[in-house]
Amino acid sequence: MDALAVTLWILRLAFLAAIYLFLLLVVRALRRDLRVSVERADRPLGRLIVLSATGGTPAAGTAFPLAAANTLGRDINNSVVLDEDFVSARHAALSYRGRAWYVEDLGSTNGVWLNGGRIDTAAPLGWGDELQVGGVRLRLERQPSR
Amino acid sequence: MSTAPGAATTVRSAGGRRPRLRRREATLLGAVAVALTFGWISLASSQAGRATIGDPTPLVIFFVLVGAAHLALTWWGRRTDQILLPAAALLMGLSLLLMTRLPQDTVVQAIGPLRLRLAELQLVWIALSLAAATLIAVGLRNDIWLRTYKYSWAAGGIVLLALVFLFGEETNGARLTLRLGPLAGQPSELLKIVLVVFVAAYLADDRALLAGRDTRLGPLRLPPLAYLLPLLAMWGIALAIVVVQRDLGAALLFYAVFLVLLWVATQRHRDLVLGLLLFVVGAVILDVLFPHVRERVAIWLDPFASAQGTGFQVVRGLFALGRGGVLGTGLGAGLPGVGGAPSIPAVHTDFIFDALGEELGLAGALAVLGVYLVIAERGLRIASAAGDDFRALLATGLTLVVVLQAAIIVAGNAKLIPLTGVTLPFVSYGGSSLLANGIVLGLLLALGEGRLGAPRAETLTRRERLGDAAHALGDRVERAIT
Amino acid sequence: MTTPLHGGPPRIAPALLRVGLALVVIYGAIGAGLAWWQVVEAERLTVDPGNPLIAGAEQGGRRGSIVDARGVVLVESVLGGDGTYRRSYPHPEAEPLLGYISPRFGSAGLERAYAAQLLGVADATGDTGLLRKFRSEPFMAQDVRLSLDLRLQKAAMVLLRGHRGAIVAIEPSTGRILALASSPSFDADRIVEPGTGDTYFAALLARPSEESALLDRATLGQYTPGSVLKMVTAVAGLGSGRVTAHTTFPDQPAEEDGGFLVNGYRVIDGHHAATGARALDLVGAVEVSCNIWFAHAGLDVGADQLLRWGAQLGFGDAIPFDVPTAASSLDGGDGFVDDVELANAAYGQGQTTATPLQMALVAATIANGGTLMRPHVVDSLVDAAGHVTAMTPEVWRRILDAGQARVLEEAMRQAVEGPLGRHFAGGAKVPGVPTAGKSGTAQLGGDSEPHGWFIGFAPAERPRIAIAVLIEHGGSSSASAVPMAGSLMATWLGLAP
Repeated sequence: MDALAVTLWILRLAFLAAIYLFLLLVVRALRRDLRVSVERADRPLGRLIVLSATGGTPAAGTAFPLAAANTLGRDINNSVVLDEDFVSARHAALSYRGRAWYVEDLGSTNGVWLNGGRIDTAAPLGWGDELQVGGVRLRLERQPSR
Repeated sequence: MSTAPGAATTVRSAGGRRPRLRRREATLLGAVAVALTFGWISLASSQAGRATIGDPTPLVIFFVLVGAAHLALTWWGRRTDQILLPAAALLMGLSLLLMTRLPQDTVVQAIGPLRLRLAELQLVWIALSLAAATLIAVGLRNDIWLRTYKYSWAAGGIVLLALVFLFGEETNGARLTLRLGPLAGQPSELLKIVLVVFVAAYLADDRALLAGRDTRLGPLRLPPLAYLLPLLAMWGIALAIVVVQRDLGAALLFYAVFLVLLWVATQRHRDLVLGLLLFVVGAVILDVLFPHVRERVAIWLDPFASAQGTGFQVVRGLFALGRGGVLGTGLGAGLPGVGGAPSIPAVHTDFIFDALGEELGLAGALAVLGVYLVIAERGLRIASAAGDDFRALLATGLTLVVVLQAAIIVAGNAKLIPLTGVTLPFVSYGGSSLLANGIVLGLLLALGEGRLGAPRAETLTRRERLGDAAHALGDRVERAIT
Repeated sequence: MTTPLHGGPPRIAPALLRVGLALVVIYGAIGAGLAWWQVVEAERLTVDPGNPLIAGAEQGGRRGSIVDARGVVLVESVLGGDGTYRRSYPHPEAEPLLGYISPRFGSAGLERAYAAQLLGVADATGDTGLLRKFRSEPFMAQDVRLSLDLRLQKAAMVLLRGHRGAIVAIEPSTGRILALASSPSFDADRIVEPGTGDTYFAALLARPSEESALLDRATLGQYTPGSVLKMVTAVAGLGSGRVTAHTTFPDQPAEEDGGFLVNGYRVIDGHHAATGARALDLVGAVEVSCNIWFAHAGLDVGADQLLRWGAQLGFGDAIPFDVPTAASSLDGGDGFVDDVELANAAYGQGQTTATPLQMALVAATIANGGTLMRPHVVDSLVDAAGHVTAMTPEVWRRILDAGQARVLEEAMRQAVEGPLGRHFAGGAKVPGVPTAGKSGTAQLGGDSEPHGWFIGFAPAERPRIAIAVLIEHGGSSSASAVPMAGSLMATWLGLAP
């Protein structure tokens, strides 16, 4: 055992150890990210705010929390129940894919209007866009952060 | 990936010049620097026969380059992933160490008055790679030009491929290099990126609409024509690459990346099965018809049988791995050779991982595999958080291009699959490879940016109009073909 | 299958998770593959002669020497004219034990078996010690010191010249091999020499297998043992208690003339001096080598006990040794089919086969008071820094007690020196030294000449050498193997230590 050999050994081991230290730091960061995104996943993805409705119901300012896939309509089985005269039983579907929302008409009587235009296919929409379902005007908004 | 709580949304991608501290990245880069310093001292000491730091100029230059990239990202306030750059930096640093350790005369190139040799050249390529990555990460604000002109991209790719087919030079039995005067490059590296962009764009558009009718072929129910045709086309191109260019690695990579992207887009297991089936059929056909394929398979199955002949490289590579053991022989102490030449031919490109395995041992080799997995995780995370399908698929594809290529070459070195001539991303010597991987890094960082043109209704409408025009053209072409 | 529009195309994120998992699996498999080569197969790869590490070490002269017990160099690396090192084998008498190593023809013998130690890749126990390389030169070549005595080895090869056969000489108290000779043999120098190597090796390979010079007959040759195997039956008899020194078989004298009927098969005897109507005891049976007596004894001992005691002596499995050995067998590997086979095996015919090394161990056991020492030819390893790793003699099996062994020793002494015995094995007696032994002429059936065998030891009281001699198709042992044994034992006892 001579000094050079020992030194080289120490250097080699230090090198390997440092690489693994790097990996350890990365793994810690990854786990932290995972925890954050898990927390985020539990929160509702967005919400619909009622701007106005003919007949007064639902009331303006009502907020409907949104999941990844939602249906809007008068029927009680919808995830967003809009009890209003011009709303069909199953009126529209609003779903979230990637990070974009899509709304489509499920064959309603009065159609679905996005920012003033009637939609005929699945249409993308972003935060702040206005939907009209029957006589109800809604706006898509983010969930307020903590 | 740090995120600030959502402020008021703006239409244009922000990223205004508000410098943001990228603390996590800085810490990780610090760890990388420590590790590489130890490695450098270890190498220098081993080569000099006494404890010394040698001439650390290349290492210092490398640190400066990486630091500059980090500072650029900080200055331009990028909020993107903070782990990718350190991971890539570690790999590039290892590459520098290994290139310094190998005989410098392996590659010599004259650039103007300078005569650069292996490690110096690699440092130049690393600089270019980092520059490209930084430019893209900082400068890419909008990806419209990527996604809307997908057919142009495809055309460009085919042209490149054709050029190599026709004018390419052969190295090591594979026609990969295109020479333009003093410069030589391997377009297949850039081609990978082009291909991924095209495929991602193609698959992302009309996802909803393309999931239409299945093609019927007698009693078989195949995927819809819109998916089936590209699948068959890719399969055909892959076969052509193997036959004409003899580049098994690139073919395998292209095909694998395409197949995975297809599956991610459609998530129909039937498509995956069909793709795998085509692969098996193709492999069998190639093996039967083409001797150079058969030879590769034979070498793979028993390299020791031809240890003096064609199996030579693989056998030498395995010896290197065996010599490394768990802790390695130490940088500079491995690769017993004759007269200074390392015992493995092409060790600076195809077999760099074996050299790494010998000198850093199983511990080091597994760590490097771990780094690639980290890159995979970050890339896929960027993909899953992407604003829309195109970006998700693009990020996935780019990640796969790096991570699957690494898997292919390492598996080949370890005799798990036949050896192919692909490079180890960020580690192998090679300007084209480093440059291409730098572009990939830059694109991933750009895609990971939280504010890359968040899709909003209005902008979409405007973009849609542009897209619609190109789309209609594409559709017409498509309909003409199918 | 049409995807319902309002469900939209499937979300990408879960698919990515699966892609990620698939990548983890792929990388895990790759990691396992690497571990295979870097840990599991590492040793085999490192000592593969094709490994440039080995070639480099040899060319740099960093491969150890093999020396005999007195330090005479048997194998070493010498600097050739072209500046590279080459292996040199100045004493071909020690082949094929020493073997050879050549990049073209691979390796054999001790050169192969101890390649790792000679290079310093492994230490004495073969352990490559992944963590033990606390030296600046990770591989420090070691010299291999043998227990072989070149003088004895040369004498043995002189005796064997012109014959096909083998001689094994062993030190009974320690298990150290003093000579291991096999004839015909080869000249390793001519194998490794670049000019003549190809033709010489091709010529060696071209020989018919029974004339092979590359085969180490001492360790790998399997031969019908004939009467020397009677000592194994005797050991089994005494050890199991089924036979004693005074056991006699009343029918034996009569059966000498008419044969001994075993299940319709007639065991005959007839080659020994007439003992008339006297029923022989153990000592007498050994002295005259009586097949009838031993057939009876074998049947009395029974198949199980015979196999068991044979296994104790090493029969049934390859003997653990420094170079590869073949297994000797009492029953041909498939058990004793019937009493006929058992009876025949008891006097060394039937389906019995033995290697000369195995028979030498039988002699050594009896010589060593019933305790079998582990045979070895490598005494110690010495590295360049002078560190010595010695292989200490080790008791392998305690088979008989001293009393029983003495009975057998007396019997074997009578076989060489007794009034009747000396007609057969008298040629093995070392003048002036009490000598014990047993000769054997192994019938092969057909027209072949029988093999000639002799096992023995001297001096009978405190043996310093135990020996086994085999001459293929040597005919009567008293003409072939016996005198060679005597000569060799005399040589050993006459040599200065």
